[in-house]
Amino acid sequence: MSKTNRIFFWLLVFFLLPWSDTSLWAMKTADPPSSWFIDLSRFSRSAHGSLTCEQCHGAMKEKDRPHPNLQDPRFLKEEATRRFDYKQCQACHRLSYERYLKGAHAAALEKERKGLTNTPDLSGKKNPAPTCGDCHSSHYESAHRSRLETGRWMTDQCGTCHPAQKATYLDNFHGKAAVHLGNTKAAYCTDCHGAHTSLSLKDKQAALQACLRCHPQATLNFAAQVIHPTLPAEAKADPEKAAKVAVIKWVTVVMGGLVILVVAFFYGHSLVWLLRDLHEKIRKRN
Amino acid sequence: MAATSIPDAVLIRFSVLHRLLHWVVMIGFVGLALTGFSLYFGSQWWARGVVFLLGGPERFGYWHRFWAVITYGSVLIHLGWLFYFKTLLKGRLTGPQTLFPSPKDFKDLSGHIRYFLGQARPPRFDRFTYYEKFDYWAILVGMNTMGLTGLILWFPEFFSVFMPGYFINLAQIIHLYEAIMAVALKLVCHMITAHLRPEIFPLDRTIFSGRTTAERMQKEHGGEWDTWSNPAGSGPSAVAKAVAQEKLADALPTGREGGTI
Repeated sequence: MSKTNRIFFWLLVFFLLPWSDTSLWAMKTADPPSSWFIDLSRFSRSAHGSLTCEQCHGAMKEKDRPHPNLQDPRFLKEEATRRFDYKQCQACHRLSYERYLKGAHAAALEKERKGLTNTPDLSGKKNPAPTCGDCHSSHYESAHRSRLETGRWMTDQCGTCHPAQKATYLDNFHGKAAVHLGNTKAAYCTDCHGAHTSLSLKDKQAALQACLRCHPQATLNFAAQVIHPTLPAEAKADPEKAAKVAVIKWVTVVMGGLVILVVAFFYGHSLVWLLRDLHEKIRKRN
Repeated sequence: MAATSIPDAVLIRFSVLHRLLHWVVMIGFVGLALTGFSLYFGSQWWARGVVFLLGGPERFGYWHRFWAVITYGSVLIHLGWLFYFKTLLKGRLTGPQTLFPSPKDFKDLSGHIRYFLGQARPPRFDRFTYYEKFDYWAILVGMNTMGLTGLILWFPEFFSVFMPGYFINLAQIIHLYEAIMAVALKLVCHMITAHLRPEIFPLDRTIFSGRTTAERMQKEHGGEWDTWSNPAGSGPSAVAKAVAQEKLADALPTGREGGTI
């Protein structure tokens, strides 16, 4: 191999190596949302692929008539996830279901059913409170995913309803290490907020308990750092957090301004100097 | 004067210690920038390549801290040397021979800009020009703020005992913006002004060999040259010490050592 060829060979190796889960091969297509129509070939490869339809959906009959009632005016018009009774999930996933019932998502669903929806940052959504099927794809979810795969998937999943929290998490050290670099020792969403419990952690003691899972020396002061410097609407309800977010914003603006001023001045300085040197060089040549 | 009569005189501008520290800071700075930006821009393909090459995400933080300790170590050595220089060598930390800022720097800056615009002759700089002083102070101040904010991010549990928790957020922001500023300035301005200008291209060897020539000193540090050729001037009475023949170049001329901060 010639020297050039060798360089190209190693460059090729460098770009194609499947480093952890981050190479081109790790890219995957997003799961389509739940729908009334099921792709059975994908279903059979999924975590639930060995189950029969009846195990979750019961007998396909309703009051002695075949269940998908084609005469029903609501047929195929409703969201599938709102029709299904997710109590069925607890037959196999009892712990997850119990945790869900204790958590903020179940409370939001209860409010939504009573018509008391009070989630300002999610008001754009038609049915903001999630049931099992809003986060998990019952038919296509793959089994035995690694912690990293689950973590990246959950960041996108939580981010569909909490985009500001996803963005701030990915801007935080935890998100960068865990999601971007793939360091599975760093925290994903549920490591702090609880799997299925989904607590907001506005409560200081709850936040400290979350920190203590990885930082045994954490104090209330430590837990008072801002992981999600988020939306004004959210911060308004919490003046202490609003003040912190304002300070963070101002320091960012001042530092950004300083960087722009200094860099602009010295870039201009270098550029003009370069032009002067070139000018002198050309002048001497003539 | 004697100096001008030796056309290929070799002057020692940087001592062995300072050349060595430049190497350490240079390598440490690149290491820090590479690992730090690979963390911040971790979603980019090149960052993942760096992480892979350094042994995966779990060992990644250790690399950044390794370079941080090495680089900050050179700051400590430098401060120790300053102390030694002041107390044992009885050197001066201010004045035209040093990197201490002076009013002349601002005059030189405006004069230099007028030169860029073709309205004046280039200023006659002292031993260290204003942009060299800026490079030095940017590194010295920057290393300490980066070091302090970096320590807060390294030991957040310890620092949050006596600091409000959101200082961790502020440390993260300051650390990031300083890093952007440092890399943007060193990578472009320092490289252009110190190495890539047509006059110097491709590389100014002075910081690596320590040597410069009488011709270059007259041109680039005319102010200092003038004080040498005028014994009544404020500079050291050391034309003989300042100007050495090639064979003496490797020896450390202690008198000249003094000015190198």
